[in-house]
Amino acid sequence: MHHAQIDRLAYQASPIHALDARVKLVCALIFSIFVISLPATSVSILACYAIWPFAVLVIAGVPISFVLKHILIVSPFILVLALSSLLYDKAVVTVAFGPWRWETTGGVCRCFSIFGKFIITMAALVGLVATTRFSDLLAAMAKLGVPHLLVVQLGFLYRYIFMLIDRGSHVLRARAGRKLRNLGLADEVKTTAAIVGSIFIGSIDLAGRVNMAMQGRGFDGRFHRLTEMRITGADFLFAAILTLYLVALQFLRRVFY
Amino acid sequence: MHMANELLSVPVAVGTLGAAAAGVGFVCQKAKTEITSDKFALMGIMGAFVFAAQMVQLPLPLMPGTSGHLVGAVLLAIILGPYAGAIAISSVVIVQCLIFQDGGLLALGCNIINMALMPSFLGYWVYRHFAVSGTSQWRVYSGSIVASLIALVAGAVLVPIEAAVSGVLSVPFYTFLLTMVGVHLIIGIVEGLITAAVLVYLRQVRPDIIAECAVNSARLSKPAVYMTIIAATVVIGAGLSHFASSLPDGLEWSYAERPDEPEFTAIISNESHAVAAVEDFQSRYSALPDYTIRGGAFGQSGPVEAVEAGAGWQSFAAVSGSAATMGLIWLVAWLLRTRNGGQDAPRAD
Repeated sequence: MHHAQIDRLAYQASPIHALDARVKLVCALIFSIFVISLPATSVSILACYAIWPFAVLVIAGVPISFVLKHILIVSPFILVLALSSLLYDKAVVTVAFGPWRWETTGGVCRCFSIFGKFIITMAALVGLVATTRFSDLLAAMAKLGVPHLLVVQLGFLYRYIFMLIDRGSHVLRARAGRKLRNLGLADEVKTTAAIVGSIFIGSIDLAGRVNMAMQGRGFDGRFHRLTEMRITGADFLFAAILTLYLVALQFLRRVFY
Repeated sequence: MHMANELLSVPVAVGTLGAAAAGVGFVCQKAKTEITSDKFALMGIMGAFVFAAQMVQLPLPLMPGTSGHLVGAVLLAIILGPYAGAIAISSVVIVQCLIFQDGGLLALGCNIINMALMPSFLGYWVYRHFAVSGTSQWRVYSGSIVASLIALVAGAVLVPIEAAVSGVLSVPFYTFLLTMVGVHLIIGIVEGLITAAVLVYLRQVRPDIIAECAVNSARLSKPAVYMTIIAATVVIGAGLSHFASSLPDGLEWSYAERPDEPEFTAIISNESHAVAAVEDFQSRYSALPDYTIRGGAFGQSGPVEAVEAGAGWQSFAAVSGSAATMGLIWLVAWLLRTRNGGQDAPRAD
């Protein structure tokens, strides 16, 4: 499954992986803000903005084909909205690209802009999570002021999410093996409720056992880390390169175009 | 109904991130005394349960070939109480963003408000009005169906509103709103049916869980809820009125006002010529139209043909230059990697 793949990628070693999670998180946020703030009429400049996530992913050794495939899987909602622009903005515009010129509609430009921004910001997000262990991301969040309760909650959630998903898939396989047709709404609701209810009860029982085991080992509600989070010269360099890159693109957009 | 980055403007994204952070911070503060370290595992596992429960699909009535699943916000709010439920669902939304890339990083604030805070609190409040502990099965059923319906639709209504306030919609606002409400009415009914059935199942199989939750659950004060609704109405109303005035013809793309380009407004600052200027602009802008507009905006006068040809080459340079740069980066990375141990990039599968 792709989440396992992201986990595996996050445990690799590369100059990007070695960076401080706080710096990567803040940089991803700032980069996304710059991309989103581009006017919808800017399409080609998006190619320039794509360089940053591309460089991060390539240097980190994250396969680009995996990232693109993954982004396309989560795109249906935005794809529908982007495509619906075609129906609602029919202003005829002239498009110029190199020596070629042709007429199209404003909706087509908007569609490209929305989808382009989506791919770039998503690539930046994958560039963050595929190069940062989730525990490091949580530590970064804690350092950045996210409430302790939420950080611990996220830690436990992440720890058990795949276990319960596996449990869910076992139950679903069992249902698929026994239920060979549509049972009608009433029975379907009853079956679904029984399945969800049994997963719920299983989860509560699991939580009880986990809690006892953790209390037995002296868990006091805090996660401890072996390594200390420190911002190094490489982090400053990374942030400086991003700043220069964003400033250069703003300069390019405002002065030359 | 995960909101995407592209549906938001930066001020709305930052504002909702701030509002969601404040909301979650407040909820964490309120829940601090209730959720002690021995309940951390339960809370985390409840969040994970939502993922597992969302895998269980229910074939939708009247819509062959489609299926719905439990969203879980109202169920958790009813069982764990609104504060713990809101924290659990907020963590689910954050993990969906970070691990599964559902919804963007900037849209996280909107998604937490729409999918965690709003359904948890509103759903819980509505449910409490229908079903108090120890009431009949019928009241549990009706209460959870109505609560799920209202909570989900309220969350869904916020999506077009946030997009509209951002001013980035190309789809007419009311079309988007009606679509979202229509779809979420069906989802809400399915959610309500499953929530009710799960509650009834739990009452039969493990009544201790429900009883314990009913005793421990936090109570929301009526004035607090009314004040929240009034505040939300004022904020949304103010946002929408701003949006209505800046986008007079629905959600057609406004060329007349582009906050990101203050100098552009100067071109059509004369109201009486606004429409003519917009039409003229529309007929002239290109796929990288900011270039053409900018030429005009900065007073680089010249024949339209020349400007467009220039824009064409600039866009060509931007795309081809970027492609070349990316190619170069890939080549350098590949060379370095092969030199450092002869290993290529790890494979995805």
